[in-house]
Amino acid sequence: MNLRPPRLAALALLLLLPLVAGAAPKQLTLLFTGDNGGEIAPCG
Amino acid sequence: MTIEKERAKGVPVLVLDAGNALFKSRDSGEAPDAKARAELLLSQMDAQGTAAMAVGTRDLVLGVDLLKKGTKKAKLKLLSVNLVDAQGKPYFPGSMVADVGGVKVGVVGVSPATTGPEPAAPSVKGKPTPMLKGLPVEPAVAAEVKRLRAQEKVDVVVVLAAVPYDDALRVAERVEGVDFVVQSHEGRGQGMAQRGAMATVIPPGDRGRQLAKLELRLDGPGRFVDVSEQERMRQSLGIVESNLAKAKERLAAATDPTTKQSLEQAVSSLEARRTALKKGVDGGATHSARTHLLSYIQLGSDVPGDPAVQKLVERVEPPGSAAH
Repeated sequence: MNLRPPRLAALALLLLLPLVAGAAPKQLTLLFTGDNGGEIAPCG
Repeated sequence: MTIEKERAKGVPVLVLDAGNALFKSRDSGEAPDAKARAELLLSQMDAQGTAAMAVGTRDLVLGVDLLKKGTKKAKLKLLSVNLVDAQGKPYFPGSMVADVGGVKVGVVGVSPATTGPEPAAPSVKGKPTPMLKGLPVEPAVAAEVKRLRAQEKVDVVVVLAAVPYDDALRVAERVEGVDFVVQSHEGRGQGMAQRGAMATVIPPGDRGRQLAKLELRLDGPGRFVDVSEQERMRQSLGIVESNLAKAKERLAAATDPTTKQSLEQAVSSLEARRTALKKGVDGGATHSARTHLLSYIQLGSDVPGDPAVQKLVERVEPPGSAAH
């Protein structure tokens, strides 16, 4: 049995899936410091 | 170490400082350890991967040169869109762009406006003192944000506002294209995200006692919606619905006309409140393309320090010294 055409079709489907489904939401984390005021050794 | 832990979670992280990091007060430059302390802070912020810091009043105590020399070989960028020399030339870049997991984040730094030229370095006998001027905050930020949006095509704009709180609020109310304004100047400490007409003001914490953590989720364009605000609204809706059910039960059982009238008014008022809350919940964060959630990581004595950094700290501030 020749599996080549179904394999190619599956590959094409896999490649196209993200375009059909849309990209997943992007997530990121921003970490902020500020007003440190010269502190180098916070004691709790 | 706390930053490394956040990075290990797999969500891309950008670390930023809102300024006023280096000196306790404007007149603390005379302290014998002031310079060493500022240099240590700059080098450690760079080592921890802080990408950018706004230049605040309490960073300029020993002059512009100290900041420039302290970051000459660093990845850490010092930003100020409105700090210029006597000829009007900027001392620092006004902004930078960082790619954070495929999201282009534009970061603008802004310093306090000055009423006139001020010394840009401590005066040295026999040498002319270089001067600096802080241009008005709002127009300087607006122009840079416009450029970032049009030319750099950034997805998110963060303004590191090392300016008085009122100036930061004005930016959040009036400057188009800004998403977040992170304010430092008075040491206001941690707080809640405050939504303005254009942007949300974020308090970054103070004195190294906490890290402000802003989690962003982007699924298209639009304004960021506060997830915690939605959660508070959902909780209020639950309380209102429970009170409404009780009021209706009491109304069904009431026979006295005065009690009935009073309960009818209560039901009507609760129903109006429920409608308003439902509208807020249904049109809120769950349906928004962009959400944000602010929390704080406390850096108390329970957080283990890095022994190598501790050694560097002890050189400037020996254990048992008055400063510690």
